[in-house]
Amino acid sequence: MYNDPLFLKKEAEKRALNKTDQEIIEKAISEGVETAWERLEKQQPQCGFGQLGVCCNRCAMGPCRIDPFSEGPTRGVCGATADLIVARNLLDDLAVGAAAHSDHGREVIEVLLETAEGKGQGYKITDEEKLKAIAEEYGIEVKEKNKEEIAKELALAMLEEFGTIKNRIQFTERPPEKTREMWKKLGIMPRSVDREIVEADHRIHMGVGADYLNILLHALRASLADGWGGSMMATFVSDILFGTPTPTSSWVNLGVLAKDKVNIVTHGHNPILSEMILKASEDSELVNLAAQKGASGINIVGMCCTGNELLMRHGIPVAGSLLDQELAIATGAVEAMIIDYQCIFPSITSTASCYHTKVVCTSEKAVVPGAIYKQFKPESALDTAKEIIKLAIENFPNRNPDRVKIPDKPIKMMAGFSEESIRKALGGSYKPLIDAIVSGKIKGAAGVVGCNNPKIKMDYGHVTLVKELIKRDILVVETGCAAYACGKAGLLLPEAADLAGEGLKPICKALGIPPVLHMGSCVDCSRILNLVSNIAKEIGVGIEDLPVVGAAPEWYSQKAISIGSYFVASGVSVVLGIPPKIFGSTNVVDLLANKLKGVVNAVFAVEPDPLKAADLIEAEIQRKRKALGI
Amino acid sequence: MKSVLVRPERCIGCRHCEVACALEHSQSKELFTMLKEVPLSEPRIRVEVGINFLTFPNRCRHCDPAPCMQVCPTNALERDEGTGSVVVNYNKCISCAACAMACPFGVIQFKEVYQVRLKREVNAKCDNCLERQLEERIPACVEACKTGALEFGDINNLIRVSRKDFTIRMIKSQGAEVEVPKIPENVKVFRNVLEKLASEGPFKED
Repeated sequence: MYNDPLFLKKEAEKRALNKTDQEIIEKAISEGVETAWERLEKQQPQCGFGQLGVCCNRCAMGPCRIDPFSEGPTRGVCGATADLIVARNLLDDLAVGAAAHSDHGREVIEVLLETAEGKGQGYKITDEEKLKAIAEEYGIEVKEKNKEEIAKELALAMLEEFGTIKNRIQFTERPPEKTREMWKKLGIMPRSVDREIVEADHRIHMGVGADYLNILLHALRASLADGWGGSMMATFVSDILFGTPTPTSSWVNLGVLAKDKVNIVTHGHNPILSEMILKASEDSELVNLAAQKGASGINIVGMCCTGNELLMRHGIPVAGSLLDQELAIATGAVEAMIIDYQCIFPSITSTASCYHTKVVCTSEKAVVPGAIYKQFKPESALDTAKEIIKLAIENFPNRNPDRVKIPDKPIKMMAGFSEESIRKALGGSYKPLIDAIVSGKIKGAAGVVGCNNPKIKMDYGHVTLVKELIKRDILVVETGCAAYACGKAGLLLPEAADLAGEGLKPICKALGIPPVLHMGSCVDCSRILNLVSNIAKEIGVGIEDLPVVGAAPEWYSQKAISIGSYFVASGVSVVLGIPPKIFGSTNVVDLLANKLKGVVNAVFAVEPDPLKAADLIEAEIQRKRKALGI
Repeated sequence: MKSVLVRPERCIGCRHCEVACALEHSQSKELFTMLKEVPLSEPRIRVEVGINFLTFPNRCRHCDPAPCMQVCPTNALERDEGTGSVVVNYNKCISCAACAMACPFGVIQFKEVYQVRLKREVNAKCDNCLERQLEERIPACVEACKTGALEFGDINNLIRVSRKDFTIRMIKSQGAEVEVPKIPENVKVFRNVLEKLASEGPFKED
């Protein structure tokens, strides 16, 4: 069966939308390489208690579960109902996601501090203007200080916001007053990045929170501490260190791997690693070594969000998203996969063991058995990066050309649309965009973000939804795996404006921009927050009044729960393509899908069918347009 | 006659019945020691996925007359008259799989069991928890099921519930929207979402 070309083709078409992915899926199946799709199949059936969110495995009186048909147990041993168990599980997931983003942010800030103190190796302050602007925002006197002094003060001021003394997060002052008032009234103004996350863990301990509503309000607060705190700091400090992105073009899909070069895939999230890898790859000694080993160069390609970080700032080619990590290895052409953390399959080394690929892990937080461990520290970053690249080059002769298959056509794409560069493209203010929205040429905007999930055909949810939205004159901004999906489908090109509706098309053509704007990595969803915040301020309304909607058609990660929640808490409704684990509680579903509208003017909806999701998004945009009287 | 009736609409695929079954048929009957036993005890009930992620817990129906008993050349399958259960005399089983061919439900499996000294696989199907029943305890799978998908009792009593459901449907047939058996609204919504999801991924039916 595994060698029957018809079976392979059919199976690959079920798993992924993109032809280049399908090609390598066929190769992986025929070579017996296990991937997430096989593992998902082996997991069937998946536990209904878990899927409904009514399984509580927190304490040793349990594990407990609630009968969704109400005839069996209706309370856990401690007395928790389905509502409480669902709410606790959701807050737990959200806190994990917020912690992941924020701990990433903290590491970037620590690198800024060490760079300021002259301890970082290879790092420098690139965007001085942004450094000064943000320092001033933090109330730091910038005159008569050199950039290192300012950077040190800023880094310390930001790190302070992870603790509990200050009790306030500076960037939460950015949104319009109306939105801030809404948070104050609800009591969800975040006080500190770490505090909200730790408090979340406290609240879900047995015998603390017993009211699902109270628990979920804290979930909104913790999500805001991520979006307007940890994630935003990650984005801006990365901009200060490595540059604020400006529009750039590059290539995407597995075809970016080179036949004759040393292929190094940087996989994970934090640019503090991938930036140094990129820098080290230009070292002439290493380039010479690659030539000696018979390679015509060193090819650094990105994967997942660290790929997005490099793509946004340097236009490096990107191989793909979450579900591409195993496929990249299965091409047989990857000498090394360098990982930091988040979204790296724990089985990645076992996939790599089917080929010559070496996996190098670099963070003490993310040690993977079977990988080569090279601990990455700011003070020796460049040396470590060189060591890792050398190891990859030396692995080049081990590549077996008979087992190599690289799809031959990468697709061109545009990226680099930071909030600043979008504003610049519009001529310095959002007025042209606002005018287009008011006139109805553009109905509104959608932030389509999030992961891949093998439960839905890879990229199908993203691409189908986005094509439908632009057709309906809804401008799309993207981050994360969603941007890879649309990049592979050719939607991140100015030419894709031809697929847009009659209102959106001429505007994109006039500006020379794609109808789908790539705004960065998953922490860069904070750029989307800034975008909507600045537009709302320019109009003089709250974010919650804008005709904008978020969508995560193929999400899988707890980070996506945090992102979705800070969108909703900021007043932007979100349509999810994969059901969250909440359906065991009618009350929680009702709160998230209906009642939240009354407090933050935004709700969650679940709709796996991307065309129907487009209907929901358009209806929500129309609801908000009507309220604005446009 | 006492039997296990499956209410498929109640099954949520947690596989708790599988774990309870394996535990019951292990040597130690202790969860943590069970995992170290050789041979490893395996469940005799299987929760299979049909379409749209919907599940069905499948186990021996203990038919009477039982097709498996009729074809067994060594009379390894015997009926326990007290409970009506079809049980395997493992040492008489010659692993020919004739019973599996005759079984209309596909619930016969061949595994090593601790009761057989030699290293060979025998018919290790559901024994209706005969030992438990002799102690007046219900089968382990039924005890483990918290959603009422598996029920044990007098078969006619259990069927009466379904009969009542049917009656309601017939009587209210003028208003065809009546739905029995009644499924909670949130579960219906969730299954609806799963059905859509199933049509957009690797689980799409050919």
